[in-house]
Amino acid sequence: MLPPSNGDPAGPSAWRTALSPTATVISALFASLFLLFLVAPLVGLVGAGGAAGIRQLFTDGELRGALALTVLTATSATLFAVLGGTPLAYLLARRQFAGRALVAAILDLPLLIPHPVAGIALLLVLGRGSPIGSVLFGAGIRLTGSTFGIVCAMLFVAAPLYVAGARESFARVDHRYEAVARTLGDDAWSAFRRVTLPLSLRGLTASAIVMWARAVSEFGAIVILTYNPKVVSVLSYDRFTSFGLGGALPVAAVLVLLAILPLAALRALRGEDSPA
Amino acid sequence: MIDVHGLTVRVGDFTLENVSFKVPDGDYGVVIGPAGAGKTTLLESIAGLLPLRAGIVRLRGTDVTRLPPERRPVGLVYQHAYLFPHLTVRENVAYGAVDGEAAAESIDRFGLQLVGDRDVRSLSGGERQIVALARALARRPEVLLLDEPFAALDPRSRAAVRREVRTMYFDRGCTVLHVTHDFEEAGLVGDVAVLLDRGRLLQTGDPADLFRRPANAYVASFLGAENIYAGTARPIRATSPDWADAAAGQFAQHPLAFDTGSLTLYALGDAVPGKGHAILRAEDVMLSTDAIASSARNQFRGRVTEIVSAGALSKVTVNVSGTPIVAAVTTRAVHELGVEIGREVVASFKAAAVHIC
Repeated sequence: MLPPSNGDPAGPSAWRTALSPTATVISALFASLFLLFLVAPLVGLVGAGGAAGIRQLFTDGELRGALALTVLTATSATLFAVLGGTPLAYLLARRQFAGRALVAAILDLPLLIPHPVAGIALLLVLGRGSPIGSVLFGAGIRLTGSTFGIVCAMLFVAAPLYVAGARESFARVDHRYEAVARTLGDDAWSAFRRVTLPLSLRGLTASAIVMWARAVSEFGAIVILTYNPKVVSVLSYDRFTSFGLGGALPVAAVLVLLAILPLAALRALRGEDSPA
Repeated sequence: MIDVHGLTVRVGDFTLENVSFKVPDGDYGVVIGPAGAGKTTLLESIAGLLPLRAGIVRLRGTDVTRLPPERRPVGLVYQHAYLFPHLTVRENVAYGAVDGEAAAESIDRFGLQLVGDRDVRSLSGGERQIVALARALARRPEVLLLDEPFAALDPRSRAAVRREVRTMYFDRGCTVLHVTHDFEEAGLVGDVAVLLDRGRLLQTGDPADLFRRPANAYVASFLGAENIYAGTARPIRATSPDWADAAAGQFAQHPLAFDTGSLTLYALGDAVPGKGHAILRAEDVMLSTDAIASSARNQFRGRVTEIVSAGALSKVTVNVSGTPIVAAVTTRAVHELGVEIGREVVASFKAAAVHIC
């Protein structure tokens, strides 16, 4: 969200590529193989189990329950991330403070560690044996075998995606919009609410959608904390170990179809971004 | 009055240090400086957008140093307008307006009725600046801060926006501080000039005085003076009584001779004799093909080495015994006098045109 600049009006699409025909063919071949590698398993999965999965939604109560639990926990985790992550993302984008780089690096950590390790770390800090966990347990909140545990696992592994995206969205809004709003009578909160938030809302929404999609597909951290009740990813694993590929296929296909929803929402958001 | 005293601000590696100046109530102040001088930092500090390390800012007699931006009586217009892209023109103008009437008045005053419901992204650069001005004025500020408001505009839009700013200034009577890197623009609009460079205040005062009487050779060069000579000034009362006495009485300044290279320039000034610089603006130098009887105390014969024409005005460089003197004359005069490279001409200028610093 920058003021107009006198950049290259032609844009990158108008540049002439310097690739030779041979290089173009080789690049296209590698790109196609790469795309095929990414798309083929998913298409195969939906093709083989999609229809059965949708049929099973009407007949399989456990699958319906897992789907509802997945949507509920992923949405809750996303809401918590928006509430806690938005101010943090704003601070990281706008303010210079001691330890800023360290905070940013710490936020990236959950993305880098294996997710079962993330589950173990959560168990260590929030489990019944820890000081925090014992307080929570006293209040009737359990981390293991509970919806709370699932939300915690999703929040831990997926929230950094929201914070990173939100930070980027805030950084794209030139701080001088806020400066102008301040000279027009807004205090800091009003300037944020009336200017920065509307201008970054699309980016924040896209970041929340990405986080939600990541939370929906989380398995490693959840399975350490909460095997039951089952979210769809755990259920697909459970069906695979109990009934083999044929049993897991419909559930896995439902999970893929669920992931297509945010993808479509993201596409719609980006469509609005493109120039008329 | 805008009264800035000892203002020191640090932004990243840049420091605006110990800047002090005053712009009287209702006057038009101009901050002049190249890119990186700290002009925008200065405006943002006055607006309260940047924390001060030291210094005091008083606006219309009130110390506002500790007040947040929203409680200061200022309006700020940036070079790129920064219109809120999620609002229409009308909503932008109404954003900080003291009331609906002020917003409507601002819309009418700047003739924005027809574009009121337009998306601001569809406006031209000139229109954007006018909307930004209307938006700032709808809040009825006592002090208006303008950050290079014409810099990003094409010549036609620039003229239109400049006209609006001037009309607004005369109509509203608010105190203005206008930042520019354009010396010509500064000369056109300012009552008070503030010269900044690399975070330091070089000189402040009446713009004409700044151009005529720069504090030092650096300021003179910064302001585009064409003839700057290093040398030594000495008093000449005893040797030139014919004009020196009269001049001393009339101007309360003493006559000086200034030796630079092989030339001796005659000057009037309050400078202390000794090493220094002589500053002569090219437009004060007259060219003739022969020596003429005139009141100009400085007349030098030399050869033309360069002619640079820029439309109606030409700059002619005359080499006088190895010292160049640049004269700004009309291109028509160049043709009529037959001035061409290699031709011998006489460059003359008055002692009062030579500023010693």
